[in-house]
Amino acid sequence: MVDYTTDELLTILMARQVTNKDVMIVGVATPIVWSAFTLAKVTHAPDAIFHYLMGNTFVWEARQVSLLWLELGAASRCHRLHNTGECTLELLPHDILTTIEFFRPAQIDQFGNTNNTVIGDWHKPKVRLPGAAGIPDFSGLYSAGQHLYVPRHDKRTFVPAEKLFFRSGVGFVDGTRPLTDYGLIGRGPKFVITNLAYLDFDPKEHRMRIKTVHPGVTVEKVQENTGFELLKAPDLKETKPPTETEVRILREKVDPLGIRKLEVLTGKERAELLEEIIRKEYSRVDRMPPRL
Amino acid sequence: MKDKIMSLKEAIELYVEDGDLIGIGGLSFWRKATAATREIIRQKKKNLGVVSFVGGICADMLIGAGCLDRIRTSFIGMELFGLAPNHRRAVGAGQIKVFEETEATIALGLKAIYLKLPFLPLRGLLETDILKVRDDIKEFNCPLTGDKLVACPPIQVDVAIIHVPYADEKGNGNIQGPVWLDDDLAKTAKKTIVTCEKIVETEDIIHFQGKGQIPMQKVDAVVKVPFGAHPTSCFPFYTYDADHMMKYIQYCQTADGFKEYEKEYIAVASHEEYLEKIGGIKEILKIMT
Repeated sequence: MVDYTTDELLTILMARQVTNKDVMIVGVATPIVWSAFTLAKVTHAPDAIFHYLMGNTFVWEARQVSLLWLELGAASRCHRLHNTGECTLELLPHDILTTIEFFRPAQIDQFGNTNNTVIGDWHKPKVRLPGAAGIPDFSGLYSAGQHLYVPRHDKRTFVPAEKLFFRSGVGFVDGTRPLTDYGLIGRGPKFVITNLAYLDFDPKEHRMRIKTVHPGVTVEKVQENTGFELLKAPDLKETKPPTETEVRILREKVDPLGIRKLEVLTGKERAELLEEIIRKEYSRVDRMPPRL
Repeated sequence: MKDKIMSLKEAIELYVEDGDLIGIGGLSFWRKATAATREIIRQKKKNLGVVSFVGGICADMLIGAGCLDRIRTSFIGMELFGLAPNHRRAVGAGQIKVFEETEATIALGLKAIYLKLPFLPLRGLLETDILKVRDDIKEFNCPLTGDKLVACPPIQVDVAIIHVPYADEKGNGNIQGPVWLDDDLAKTAKKTIVTCEKIVETEDIIHFQGKGQIPMQKVDAVVKVPFGAHPTSCFPFYTYDADHMMKYIQYCQTADGFKEYEKEYIAVASHEEYLEKIGGIKEILKIMT
């Protein structure tokens, strides 16, 4: 079996979710998502189109993931196919243009409702988070389902519904009624990809369940790190591990600087990598990220 | 036509009043009117509000300096570098009022101004807690279909402050990279200040990609401030200064730390002095595209 790291596993599993007709929305400060989309584009989904919030542009071409020069790839004249006047309104998810976007929740409950707003009471928060941006607008609308990922699967993130501090993203609400009853026209959360497992939602109960566990991870370990009871899919099995080709293309072509790792690492290790990436990128003579 | 070209000091003195709701263009690390923000702090404006599609260092500096009493953003942060430190502290301590916005509430709030409407409808926000903390956003049933929808109120900005790469002396502004909501901010605000990297002829604006997204009839002041978005980016000239961003976050670990930052980088005699302080030509060349 090929060696891979947590960030590589996440990126590759997310890339596999992209289909050839998707519009891939690349948000701000989510290098794992950008790497996953880019990997999909250069492997199995060559017709998928990027949409960068950084540029408000539809971009056909794939370029190497960059921390400092991303605006060049996203916004420069030669890349800019269209201006999308205002991304929020023009890219509301619908059936004709299948937009997909990966959200990373700070908290998520068993019904897939998410919080990216506050830790603690909203009126007097323990930690004010940056905010949910467009998640409250879009979460109930995705016709392709809501895509979610969590790089650190633990009980701080996976909480029972009553411990979700603020519902900024809507999942299956309380799981009791069809989404259309609430006025929601999307298909609800589709899956959550974590460092331990691939979780989806039981079609009847609308509750989160384990679909596959990653190689080396037990069902018990996934449950121990989750703050509510997970259901188990009838065909529960092991996640298909990354292939040698996927890992190689990701490491060598898509994100050789390892920018995606910034979403997974913490503390000193993360600070050192960040410094290294900054020095390497500022020292580049040609500042346009290489074409893939 | 009245002369719109003026110094940053004059523009802020003339067009920013205590209590104003300021619309700052750009997005987190990208094309933020930071030089204008530092001037607002130097002039000690008070009780301001900020509305930004995605907020970053401008709103955070204004909070640290005590210029803000309210904030309206869908997201405010320092991207992969962390949370916005002064914002996090001030909201935790209940020092500023938060209008919990989303991308669409801001986009529709500005569009409602064009159309002189009391609200615009949105098929979002349903079943989210945004509705619990915003009593001016309400669910209603569509009069035509009966569908559940949400009504988003207008957002009237007093003064929009937009940094652009190019502007002419009449006030036409051209943005080469992403525009985000900057054109809506400029067109719906009561007053608009444009800061720019270069002043060019109107003919040049016509030939640039995107032409003049910021229209002259809505612009009150044009201020030439090269590198006036540092430490954020201004496409196509320069990217953001990651080292300075990290330095800023380091300083802002405490409220006193921000005061030191303010003394060092904001309370300067001129923009030239600021550029020297941040490292001069060496830093400038580092961030140039």
